[in-house]
Amino acid sequence: MRTKYRQIIALVLAALFPALLLAAEPEAKTARQVVEVFQGHLLEAMKSGKRIGYAGRYEKLFNPVAQSHDLEKIARIIVGREWEKLTKDQQHTFVDVLIRLSVSSYAHNFRDYNGESFVFESLEETGKGGVVVRSLFKIPNDKDVKFDYMLKQNGDTWRIINIIANGVSDLALRRTEYTSVLQREGFDALIKRLNEKIDNHSKM
Amino acid sequence: MHRTYKKNFTDGRLLLAIALAGLVFLGECAAENVKNQPIARSKADPYERVNRKIFQFNDTVDEYLAEPIANAYKAITPQFVRTGIFNFYNNLETANTIVNAFLQGKPRQGLDNTGRLLVNSTLGLAGFVDVAKYLNLEHNDEDFDQTLALWGLPSGPYLVLPFLGPTTVRGIPGILFDTAANPTSYVGIPVQLLYLLNARANAQGALQFIDEAALDRYLFTRESFLQWRQNLASDGQFASLDYFEEFAEADTANAAGFPGSVETFNTASNAFTGATAAFDKTALHFRTVLAKLSGSQKQ
Repeated sequence: MRTKYRQIIALVLAALFPALLLAAEPEAKTARQVVEVFQGHLLEAMKSGKRIGYAGRYEKLFNPVAQSHDLEKIARIIVGREWEKLTKDQQHTFVDVLIRLSVSSYAHNFRDYNGESFVFESLEETGKGGVVVRSLFKIPNDKDVKFDYMLKQNGDTWRIINIIANGVSDLALRRTEYTSVLQREGFDALIKRLNEKIDNHSKM
Repeated sequence: MHRTYKKNFTDGRLLLAIALAGLVFLGECAAENVKNQPIARSKADPYERVNRKIFQFNDTVDEYLAEPIANAYKAITPQFVRTGIFNFYNNLETANTIVNAFLQGKPRQGLDNTGRLLVNSTLGLAGFVDVAKYLNLEHNDEDFDQTLALWGLPSGPYLVLPFLGPTTVRGIPGILFDTAANPTSYVGIPVQLLYLLNARANAQGALQFIDEAALDRYLFTRESFLQWRQNLASDGQFASLDYFEEFAEADTANAAGFPGSVETFNTASNAFTGATAAFDKTALHFRTVLAKLSGSQKQ
């Protein structure tokens, strides 16, 4: 009798095991989910923004930004051909500064909450294997702001590579500015100036 | 990263943030020393060297003249008064929006804006209160530059005009037409000055944003302006997908120019370059005089 129970338990476990494994490994998010999860974190940080201050918002947003944005790809696109001219250390430094700058900009600028919300509008596939998730940032008593998120797949996961707010592309702006500083003043000057921006965000 | 920041939403919306970069009065802040720096070439901005100098001149005028006056104005007028004045001028500009909506073959939008003008001019107390937005009659941004874009005219090179700020060659006939089609142009200089002053005062927060976000304010302003205009001209259809195609090739940095035949406009712009060279000397003189004045005040 006992052996029979053992066999049943073993069979049940064997049947459940793959399911348990699958459950342990979360399903890869869709592009829309990646954007919406990130927007949710941003709104959460805004809601507790006044209470937790800049440092709290920075901490709250670091992982959500790092996990939803493909900052290495963003870094490559921003510096373009210059990327190959950088040493491995310089590339790591640049990506690291870019993450910290992105998080600090969010923490600095999205500091409190006045009833704002994000609303999904549509999703478009692009010819180059990417998607654009279109959404609206709703602000009470003000005009909606269009936020278009461009995403590319990195392995199994979708990652944000650009955000276009009312038609103005963050990536295009950065590319123009950063490559100009790189060409005019060099890599160290660019990193120094980006670090200064991060410092200023924490102080203002 | 979101460039449209929370602070700007509350201060006065993204469009104002970009418009202030130059469309409104003297939209740039303190000068950045770019003298003797090699300039990375941009197809959209073949006259960058001259444009930067005019940008610096505008900065100087803004720093010593427009900003102090705007700050004083802001100190004595509450926000609701400034909003009311903004609404009043915005309502008058609707006349131009209507004309351009029809010229662009958008009769529905033209009629909506006509309704908007009528409602705000009457129920909205001559335009001081934006009643129409509660009736879902949204304000549209239409101007003659967008009309010319829709008619197929390329934008041509980017230009920075003294006092007026960023535009493109196509934007110049745009400015002339829009000025002629705006009732504000016919009501006397004091009214126009109040318009400029109010616009500058409302732009303060967004100007500060540019200061905080930009590594190079000239480039930041130029790129924001060109993208913003392109987005308006295409009614928002350009942005996302085209950028995606552009960025798909990660190693083609700086390859993008903006639509428009540079060659077509070279002749006109060369004349412009000559004129601005003379202007630059005036700007230098102006700065020197102001520096002396501020020095003597400190003593």
